[in-house]
Amino acid sequence: MNKKLTLLAVSVASVLGLSGMPNAQAATNTETLAKAIAKQEAEITILKQQLATLAAEQKQQQQQNKQVATQVDTVVQQATKAQDRLSRFSFNSYGSAVYTSDEYFDNVQDTSAERRSRTDLERIVTEFGYQFTDDWSMEVEIEYEHGGTGTSLEYDGFDEFGEFESEVEAGGEVVVEKAEIRYRTSKAFGVKFGNIHLPIGLSSMLHKPNQYLTVQRHKSEAAMMPTVWNENGIGVYGEVADFHYQAQVVSGLNSEYFRTYDWVASGHQKRFEEVNADDLAFAGRIDYGNFKTGSAVGVAYYYGNTSGNRHKSNKLDVDGALSIVSVAGAFVEGPWILRGQYLYGSLDNADAITQANKTTPGLRPGNFAQLGSESQSFFVEAGVKLDEWFDIPMTVFANIDYSNPLMAVETGTATKRYENTWSSVGINYFPIPEIVIKAEGGLHQVAVASIPDTNFFALGVGYQFSL
Amino acid sequence: MRFNYTAISLALVATLSACGGSGSDDTSTPTTPTTPTTGFSFVATEMITNLTDDVIVAGYADLAAKGDALLLATQTLLTSTVQADLVAAQNAWKSARQPWEQGESHIFGPVDSLSIDPHLDSWPLNTTDLQTQLANSNGFDADTIKGWNDDVQGFHTMEYLLFGDGVNSNTKLIADLSTKEREYLIALAEVFRDYTAQLDDAWQVSHNPQDANAKPYAELLKTPGDATNTIYSSQLAVIEELINGMIGIVDEVGNGKIADPFGESLTTADTSKVESQYSWNSLTDFSNNIIGVRNVYQGEFTGGADKQGLIDFVTAADATLATRVASEIDDAILKIQAISGSTSMPFRQAILDADGRARTQVAVDALTKLQATLQSDVLPLLSDWNS
Repeated sequence: MNKKLTLLAVSVASVLGLSGMPNAQAATNTETLAKAIAKQEAEITILKQQLATLAAEQKQQQQQNKQVATQVDTVVQQATKAQDRLSRFSFNSYGSAVYTSDEYFDNVQDTSAERRSRTDLERIVTEFGYQFTDDWSMEVEIEYEHGGTGTSLEYDGFDEFGEFESEVEAGGEVVVEKAEIRYRTSKAFGVKFGNIHLPIGLSSMLHKPNQYLTVQRHKSEAAMMPTVWNENGIGVYGEVADFHYQAQVVSGLNSEYFRTYDWVASGHQKRFEEVNADDLAFAGRIDYGNFKTGSAVGVAYYYGNTSGNRHKSNKLDVDGALSIVSVAGAFVEGPWILRGQYLYGSLDNADAITQANKTTPGLRPGNFAQLGSESQSFFVEAGVKLDEWFDIPMTVFANIDYSNPLMAVETGTATKRYENTWSSVGINYFPIPEIVIKAEGGLHQVAVASIPDTNFFALGVGYQFSL
Repeated sequence: MRFNYTAISLALVATLSACGGSGSDDTSTPTTPTTPTTGFSFVATEMITNLTDDVIVAGYADLAAKGDALLLATQTLLTSTVQADLVAAQNAWKSARQPWEQGESHIFGPVDSLSIDPHLDSWPLNTTDLQTQLANSNGFDADTIKGWNDDVQGFHTMEYLLFGDGVNSNTKLIADLSTKEREYLIALAEVFRDYTAQLDDAWQVSHNPQDANAKPYAELLKTPGDATNTIYSSQLAVIEELINGMIGIVDEVGNGKIADPFGESLTTADTSKVESQYSWNSLTDFSNNIIGVRNVYQGEFTGGADKQGLIDFVTAADATLATRVASEIDDAILKIQAISGSTSMPFRQAILDADGRARTQVAVDALTKLQATLQSDVLPLLSDWNS
């Protein structure tokens, strides 16, 4: 383009130069003058043509520029939209692997324990979230447990006596731990529904490796009720001043799988392909403060019948109403961490449920059919972050877990075999904030005199991150 | 999936062409085509009926009757001070033990589906909890005990109360039997009686207590293939169940009941795992398990008039094999009984004794041999049978 302009300028200059130059010889020669005029006219014509071409080219260029601008605009718009969508999407993940060394007893008569070590890729959890609009959002949490195989249980009513059939699924146990849609109009009020976490038990709230101090989640809770308890249902929640509240109606437990050693925990219907929802349950919680971010105190309550959700509905004609009360507190301030929880539960007609479970064909509760009419458990963990005083990102802790799923039985005497206490000390080391390496050593006591105390040791590594 | 089909078809083509190739090589000179083996013929109806009625049902009826007798014998103990009453109760226990252990060779059907096995015969016993119950319970009744965990009821809890701890002796003095032990024993015997009666009923009256129209289980076993028979589709299925039942108990005795406490060496032997160690009845239990195998195989209880059993089925296929199986069963029984040696050594002592261990090994070997024969030679006959 520049080249063309230069050429044009030179031409113009030469034409003007020719026309402006006085030439005596030319003036006297008309023929010559006419020729010169003709030549000039010819040159002017060419120049006009060139100017026209140039104008056309400039016009075309302007159009092109416009087009480019439009395209740039579109791309910018698309990029902004994509960025906006991405910012509405969230992805988190956490996971842990542990090594444990425990002393095991061969059978109920054995009183000389044998030390066994185990490793376990406990869980890898992925959480996907999306904020559709300011009010609507969803979150799905998928957990891969133990990297092993999983089984699902199905009830086939058309078989012999009605069979409980286990099916081994290949390729590892994958559990949807949460799949909820949320509608939140304000901080003070929201509704969530789908597969939601019950706010009973601190493990439901503090289940990432950096949110609890022990290598494995608290054993006391697992020995009494489902940990990280999720059910299908609907709940309201919100935050008013420093109070957090939750109230839910969810699918209940199934008493067919209640067991001596973990009370109602196995009744969590995640083992079944479909969840029976003939009996619903209520779960509620109110906290002052926030357990996830710091100090808090709170109470929670669960109530629900469990008889209606049995597959064999003719084995039990009484209610198996279950209630669980939880009181919890956390003091997290500067380098200090102190957390604790007490759980108490009661189960109506525990003897009748025991009887029904023992005589349900194919159910095989086997040896562990006797159920506590009352159950209790607690834990207290205390930690100090050393980085307050030293240049080392480490927390030292002490922990006590206690559980007794057979605290009381309806008739007779409850055995103390399931009354367990685990006391331990350990460390949490954070090489970077997203990773925690844990070590823990402790004492396991069973409240039966003839069963000796045993020692356990555990190592763990956990991670968590959010995009 | 498409890849799989392709792979399968390729494999088939390869196999077929390989067969064709070798076939043409082998038959360079044409021969008259031989009739393919069509297996053997045997009419199984009488055998199945006989095994069901005269072995299985008769065994459970016997068990139920002995359950009654055991309850009566323990009730006598309530206020007795006579040693003979305790001995009578001990004998009633051993007597009930016999049909139960023999019945373990056919531990399918109601005993399994009604979960009766663990209620009657849980092992090991939870002595700690048992002592707790004795110390803390105020009176015992059958209904309460039914709600307790299985490891504090059934055969072995009664055994422990009747015979003592069995460490140095299996005799207990009636004076040492406390009032609570007597009450607990009677309630246990009542629970036991109820379950054995339920088991007997399931075979003879209705196999599903929840369903009034359900047939007796014996009926289902005897009429395989009936339109209403939802459990056995054919006689072949019944015979397979019977053979697998025999294999199951031979495996359990050889590789479980004997091998577990026996260990690899004297240092890894563990007497705490010996079943029926309080009464020193272990070797009788084990040999009764294999006698149960013989009952099913021969078709009658030892000493009874000859009736059709699995031996007739095997004879129809291979008479030599039939005799061999019979002698291997007898041999296994004798070798188990021989573990006690010339000094009537109980099993829990024998596994800690060098000579006893040698005799135990001989018995384990005999059981291994029998199991191999049943699995490799007898079970495959089913595919040769023209049912």
